[in-house]
Amino acid sequence: MTSKITTSQTIGPFPHEAWRWAVDMTANVESSAPKIVVKGAIFDGDGVAINDAWVETWMPDSAPVETAHAIPGYRRVPSNDEGGFSLQITLPQAATAGKPVAYVTVFARGLTKHQFTAVFLEDDAGLAQSDILNQVPQQRRDTLIAKKQADGSYLWNINMQGAQETVFFDYV
Amino acid sequence: MNFDAVESGVYPELIYPPYKSTVKRGPTQAPLRINAAAATTTNLFASPKLILPHDMDMTAQGKGEPLGEKIVVTGRVLDEDGKPVRNSLLEVWQCNSAGRYWHKRDQHDAPLDPNFTGFGKMLTDDNGRYRFVTIKPGPYPWGNHHKAWRPAHIHFSMFGNVYAQRLVTQMYFPSDPLFEYDPIFQSIPDEAARQRLISRFSLDETVDDKMLGYEFDIVLRGRNATPMGI
Repeated sequence: MTSKITTSQTIGPFPHEAWRWAVDMTANVESSAPKIVVKGAIFDGDGVAINDAWVETWMPDSAPVETAHAIPGYRRVPSNDEGGFSLQITLPQAATAGKPVAYVTVFARGLTKHQFTAVFLEDDAGLAQSDILNQVPQQRRDTLIAKKQADGSYLWNINMQGAQETVFFDYV
Repeated sequence: MNFDAVESGVYPELIYPPYKSTVKRGPTQAPLRINAAAATTTNLFASPKLILPHDMDMTAQGKGEPLGEKIVVTGRVLDEDGKPVRNSLLEVWQCNSAGRYWHKRDQHDAPLDPNFTGFGKMLTDDNGRYRFVTIKPGPYPWGNHHKAWRPAHIHFSMFGNVYAQRLVTQMYFPSDPLFEYDPIFQSIPDEAARQRLISRFSLDETVDDKMLGYEFDIVLRGRNATPMGI
């Protein structure tokens, strides 16, 4: 029997207090594995920062090295007044070659359905062989790649619309 | 699991001008359908330890009884094969009986209830069932247009059994007169998909003279789940 799916509705502007528990539980990462930070901001079609968005990540390769963590491999962060967010990511060994460092889910007021995307690192030697990136039209791949900054962190912005509209996924 | 393309009209329009903030926030390009095994075969582990004692009774979180109509909401979380989505994390949040959220940015001129925050969370059981006790939320104005009032609703956030099943939605109550005027509800083109967001009154789930019962079943995307233990 095939059941008809339940559709999506926006999270609206007021999930912050209800969603905070998972923000608090996933803020401090305890792991002996190497860590990186991916920072960025989320923008609407006018380039205006979205200050009430949410970013969640699922990091299946990180989960095994975060066993001390309340929810291994998972993060939830709200965007701040400048649309900014910061993600602490553990990177076990060479597990990331050609793979996203995080599967990312985006929620916001005015977004009627959450959007799936993923973030890769520009200095990942496996990018050219990435099974996922190779399914993305070449001219749009750049929207999924975080750029290394002078301080060692990575910069990755999310654009809901425009010439640099982030590639969003629907998984098969 | 396998994720079929969603039938046209079932998801809300991403850009739906009557809901004003969608115009600059909704992606303009269709999502790219891709194969990514990790997204359709793995998920976070939600430990039962994450659930606190009163997370499933939102009327028991304060020092006293909250105001309003106490209700119980229950249902099953299933996949597209009709199989239960077990031991899966589910969050709910809502405004109070007067239509006010526990949130610093909610400026609606209605009282907060010191005994009701409106947050809950739980895991589904071995049959995919969830159940929580709460206060029936009120309608509230939201400023999208003249006389814009949201129909009463409870927000649901579900993590499924694999990452790609993640869903956030809203549950409504039967026979709400505001449905036809609400652009958030009306952003869903398919009539049947809209109707599936409306809970059913249930005399079976009604608890004596304590509270009325509502049933709301949820079907997450995905078919051909791997049986447990294989």
